[in-house]
Amino acid sequence: MAGLVGRRTLALVAVMFGLVVIVFALQAVIPSDPVRAMVGASAPPAVVAQERHKLGYDKPLPERFVDYLDRLVHGNLETSLRTRNPVTQDLATFAPATLELALSAAVLAGVLGVGLGLLLVGGGRPARLLRLILIGGASVPTFLTALLAILLFYSTLHLLPASGRVSDTLVVPNGPTKLLLVDSLVHGEPNLFWSALTHLIMPAFTLALLPALAIARTLATSCQQIMREDYVRTARSKGLRERRVLLRHALRNAAGPALTMSGLQFGLLLGGIVVVEQIYAWPGLGLYLDQSIAYSDFPAITGTTLLLGAAYVIVNFTVDLAQAWADPRIRTV
Amino acid sequence: MKLSRARLAPICLVAGAFALAGCGAASTTGGTSSTGASTGGSAASQILRIPYLADMSVPDPDIFYDIEGNSVILSTYDGLVTYAPGSTKIIPDLATSWTISANRLTYTFHLRAGVHFHDGSVMTSESVKRSFQRRLAVNQAPSYMLKPIASMATPNPLTFVVHLKSPVNPFIDYMASSWGPKVIGPAALVTHAGKDHGETWLQTHDDGTGPYELTSFARGRQYVLTRSTDYWGAQPYFKEVLIKITPDIGTQQLELQNGDVDAIMHSFPASELNSLPSNVHAEEFPSFLRLLLYVNTNKPPFNNPAVRASLRSDVNIPQLVSEAYSGTATPSVGAYPEAILPNQPKLPYAPNAKLASAGAKAASTKNITLAYTADESGVQRRVGELIQADLEQAGWSVTVKEVQLPQVYGYINNLKTAPDLMLQTNTPDASHPDTWARILFDSTGGLNFLGFKDPTVDSLLNKALSAPAAEATSLYQQVGQDVVNSNEIFFLGDVKNVFVLNKDLTGVEQVPAYPWTVTLADLKRAGG
Repeated sequence: MAGLVGRRTLALVAVMFGLVVIVFALQAVIPSDPVRAMVGASAPPAVVAQERHKLGYDKPLPERFVDYLDRLVHGNLETSLRTRNPVTQDLATFAPATLELALSAAVLAGVLGVGLGLLLVGGGRPARLLRLILIGGASVPTFLTALLAILLFYSTLHLLPASGRVSDTLVVPNGPTKLLLVDSLVHGEPNLFWSALTHLIMPAFTLALLPALAIARTLATSCQQIMREDYVRTARSKGLRERRVLLRHALRNAAGPALTMSGLQFGLLLGGIVVVEQIYAWPGLGLYLDQSIAYSDFPAITGTTLLLGAAYVIVNFTVDLAQAWADPRIRTV
Repeated sequence: MKLSRARLAPICLVAGAFALAGCGAASTTGGTSSTGASTGGSAASQILRIPYLADMSVPDPDIFYDIEGNSVILSTYDGLVTYAPGSTKIIPDLATSWTISANRLTYTFHLRAGVHFHDGSVMTSESVKRSFQRRLAVNQAPSYMLKPIASMATPNPLTFVVHLKSPVNPFIDYMASSWGPKVIGPAALVTHAGKDHGETWLQTHDDGTGPYELTSFARGRQYVLTRSTDYWGAQPYFKEVLIKITPDIGTQQLELQNGDVDAIMHSFPASELNSLPSNVHAEEFPSFLRLLLYVNTNKPPFNNPAVRASLRSDVNIPQLVSEAYSGTATPSVGAYPEAILPNQPKLPYAPNAKLASAGAKAASTKNITLAYTADESGVQRRVGELIQADLEQAGWSVTVKEVQLPQVYGYINNLKTAPDLMLQTNTPDASHPDTWARILFDSTGGLNFLGFKDPTVDSLLNKALSAPAAEATSLYQQVGQDVVNSNEIFFLGDVKNVFVLNKDLTGVEQVPAYPWTVTLADLKRAGG
């Protein structure tokens, strides 16, 4: 287990380094002038030059890269050119909303994925129909799902709000977790809890849909293979009911590929966050990143990329641990 | 199939959750319908909800230099003077009157008595002087408006005097600009000044004298403006203004239709204005927003004057403007917005297939790139496609590409790799020709993206800055004519400010020099 932790920590450092390299390379490739965009069109050349010097944008890119790494090691992600806040402060502002959304979506994807997967294993006409629906659902892009959901649940049925994280007239408590579902309960605010929950349903479902379908199909395929194993036949011959055989004997052994797929799908889920947060006006990292890209706010882009990259590695590490729990053979690899 | 109790339970739970979700929303929004739609209750009716497509940079008037966010600055702060609604006429704001010395070097402002900042302190000439000094010390883009000042004096608490280094014709327009100097109170300038002139504090607070106070600034989510109890002017109708960050124009449209927001201030797709739902209406106002086509003369084919002259004949501009803007823009009549420089010579653009084709034939390469800056309404993309069609008919092969504004700022550093043509919508800082010409036509102008350079134009502009009024007007006209003759910048359309509002919202007042911005304090709800 210690070896696994060590390897994953090294992988985390390597991924972070790679991401910084990529974002810096993009700065060199994209011919933009973020400092000019920051100070404004009519700024006298002297003001632009002064600001460029202050921010270190007049240095050669390799030198800036080394400076950035030095600051990164000390926990300094520079200052956003757009918000003029330290990027760490901006990330602390926007990350809780994304964390709440991503966690909800991940749980939803897991529950939906396992549920649909088990339905598929059942076989027969319903399973074939469900498989067709899943294939169709997987081909719908996230933005379209988001728009359709808004049209149906907000505009037509008036069931759920279209945008934001909470009703605009409610006061949002400042902690302790900054996850509104939790904080509203901690502060004993049922109205806030409901508002937060109703605002969360559509974005979380939109984000969870594609990963859920992928998990379902992987789990179903894996289960079907396992159900042909000798020990499953033995269990059946002992007179156990099919559901019990599936849930008690096959599911745990079939979980490995589905868990791997869950980890991979978390990357897809993070990728979908930018689109989902934009359409639902969800004030998280995706929205922050989207606005920063439009501004060529490279410190903000780099900081957000690093945070999301780290989250991806950590989630996959957690998946590895879960796999090791599900299949003891992995622990020795 | 018979449903067992165990199977029914989850179904009931899901159905119940959805039902409660509907009820829950109703109970949490206080006077709103199932999805937050206004029901006309008195408390709810005094809340105005407007969306922004993006966060504003910072609500600090000495740093802020964007368009999205203007309504926050103009509602929380006042300047010395302002523009009358729908015109370029300068009217009093915090200064009730002002005089300009005969040599145009001394401006004396007589200040309004009894004005309080949002922290409760009284506004005096010393506050104005400190605010001007802060803008110069912060030294960001809007500081250029105060750079001509030689000295300032405060002979008494209600008189503020500015001495300029040399006459600057647009100086009084600078004072009226939405990005012009605003008067900031001691909460920012003294109490929270810190080591950065109060920049950190002003990222989330205000201390102005405007009709609204910035009571909450939740970046990425929502800003709250609360009616100031101490405002010197008429009390605004709306007790609170909630500005919500909603980056998708489609979501904004649906929320307007459902009554969850009261107005969309910009980027409403023009093509949908003719099919608005019955509960909303659109109001159009003239603005100084102008659609321009920049030509890159630093590489073939448009480094050839004859080839770029043929661009005058390529595009049917009235048709282009009509098709892309659906009546919310008019073809430009000159190099400047007509309202800030009247009687300009007519622009020499007219479609002519023969001349257009000859231009393309004479070009050393027919493959060109047309870039446009991304905009949420999609209108610039539409314009780009229409120009592409016209140019291809003349024999060009055109690649259209979308770019972001910082990329556009970067073109000047490597003009050889910049696009051949570029579409951009710009606006001057104020209602004075200098604030348009200097940023666009001067060789160091901030909006001179593709390196237009004419030493004669630079020299004329410098002369016009301090010339007597009549001579200055003539010089600005000459500059405009030189630019038109160069065929390096084409003036395509004058775009209107279009506000789409709930039917019950009235009192929309707009200043052409303040793009995308209505005076929030003047808005009312019908029957309110």
